[in-house]
Amino acid sequence: MKWATIPALTLWALSASASDDLQALTLSGFATVGVVATDEADMRFTRVGIDRPGKERPDTGPDSVLGVQGNLRLGEASSAVVQVVSRENTKGNYAPRPTLAFLSHQVTPELYARAGRLRIPFFMQSDSLNINYAHPWVRPPEEVYGLSPFADLDGLDLMYRVRAGDTDIELHPFLGTSRISLYPDTKARLRRVAGANLTLSRGDLSVHLGHAEARLEINWQDPFYTALAPALRDLGRDDIAARMAGNDGVTRFSSAGFQWDDGRWLVIGEYARRQADRYANSAHAWQLTAGHHFGAVMPYLVIARHTQDAAVIDAEDVRSLPPLPGLAELVSGFNASRNLAQQSVTAGVRWDVHSNAAVKAEFTRARTDANAWGTFDPSSDAAASRMGGRSINMLSLSVDVTF
Amino acid sequence: MSHSRIRCRLRRAALLLTGALTLAASAHAAEIVLVTSAVNGIPALTVEEASQLYLGRRTTLSDGTAVTLFDLPGGPTRDRFYELLTGKNPNQIRAYWSRQVFTGRALPPREAKSADDLPTLLSNDGAAIGYLPDGPINPRLRVLLKLP
Repeated sequence: MKWATIPALTLWALSASASDDLQALTLSGFATVGVVATDEADMRFTRVGIDRPGKERPDTGPDSVLGVQGNLRLGEASSAVVQVVSRENTKGNYAPRPTLAFLSHQVTPELYARAGRLRIPFFMQSDSLNINYAHPWVRPPEEVYGLSPFADLDGLDLMYRVRAGDTDIELHPFLGTSRISLYPDTKARLRRVAGANLTLSRGDLSVHLGHAEARLEINWQDPFYTALAPALRDLGRDDIAARMAGNDGVTRFSSAGFQWDDGRWLVIGEYARRQADRYANSAHAWQLTAGHHFGAVMPYLVIARHTQDAAVIDAEDVRSLPPLPGLAELVSGFNASRNLAQQSVTAGVRWDVHSNAAVKAEFTRARTDANAWGTFDPSSDAAASRMGGRSINMLSLSVDVTF
Repeated sequence: MSHSRIRCRLRRAALLLTGALTLAASAHAAEIVLVTSAVNGIPALTVEEASQLYLGRRTTLSDGTAVTLFDLPGGPTRDRFYELLTGKNPNQIRAYWSRQVFTGRALPPREAKSADDLPTLLSNDGAAIGYLPDGPINPRLRVLLKLP
């Protein structure tokens, strides 16, 4: 928020003084109205770190969003940008928050620098997760994008763009911090984020590579953690409790992806990985999307898979625990509730009904792994024990506009 | 008719045809022209340079001069311009630019209210470019690139 305030105030002050030159200030925005319904009454679709799993059926929380943005040109080479977004947050309200608030400067023709609140660009589409109009899907596949719930980057970045032959090369290093609320009432934080993305574009093909590292802090407040952590300490296993929550973790995000769109065929593929030494599990995921443009209508298919590489509390720890009644269930519940592992197949269609509006419909069939909740949240405590190994059908409808 | 006369006629016909083709090429009717003020020093642009500018991948000319870009309001000329310059159809371009703008990667071109406003808008700004359907060009403007 500190980072966001300075550019926001600058924009406010300058827009007042620049009123005689309205050309310098541009206001624009984007919005989505979306609904999601699942056919399993005890499983609610949720996006980690984005929405609060709700009782509503269908649920408007996961995808509906409204964003307004002001761009102010400050001379030939600088600008200030503020974007405010309202969407359901993990507390269940729609309080607007700044999602961009930065000052930028074109240092040389090749080098563009920004400082303030930016989007965290861990994966190929991470910086545009709110901009559904820019994507073929109702939402980018949650198997991949659920790997990083972090959205803001309070810090700075550089974009170095050159052209070699007929290939555009963009090198995008970034530094900063990030905070987020996870459902329910959990605070997570990344400090000392350092990463870089490389994007190569040639004709209809674009290729992305990215890697980032950060210090990880998570203080879980969910029922599994609040029951399990004191029990482990009572058993003298502070070592395990210290790996479940705290402020001393390290995490790494890596991804590789490509996008091909020749105006007839659209193919997008991405592989992404999260490694965490504690507090969160390690996992990898991939997705492959293929679509065909028929004028303004594009049907598409998506297959996606999220696989856990290492649970928060590993098997060795579990074996070393005394066989107390209920303890094993609590441990496996803790692990499963942090495990998004599942696979899914989606058939969808995007229809550009108007020059700035798209209507999308998607049908997804997902299957959660045996020891995972997948991208779902149980509707009750009783349901929490039967989230693994389930097949769920899900229907998503949305209308996206830009203005 | 002797063979030499036939050859001669053929050669003349070929010459005429070549002349006609050359004439057509030099005055070929482009669909869209990229224009700037008649008085500024912007050199002619290549398709590649213009496409980099209108995709937000660059904001300056090769000599470092910052360029202000103008778009026409949404419509067939704008759609055709992007199609000819970047190979992207209107839906692709709108999705592409929505991502560029709302991730804060680039500022969109400024929008002229109509093609008639371009001579004034382009004369006001130091280095500004816009595009128009090909045809008689306002004397205050100069053509930088013909598309296709």
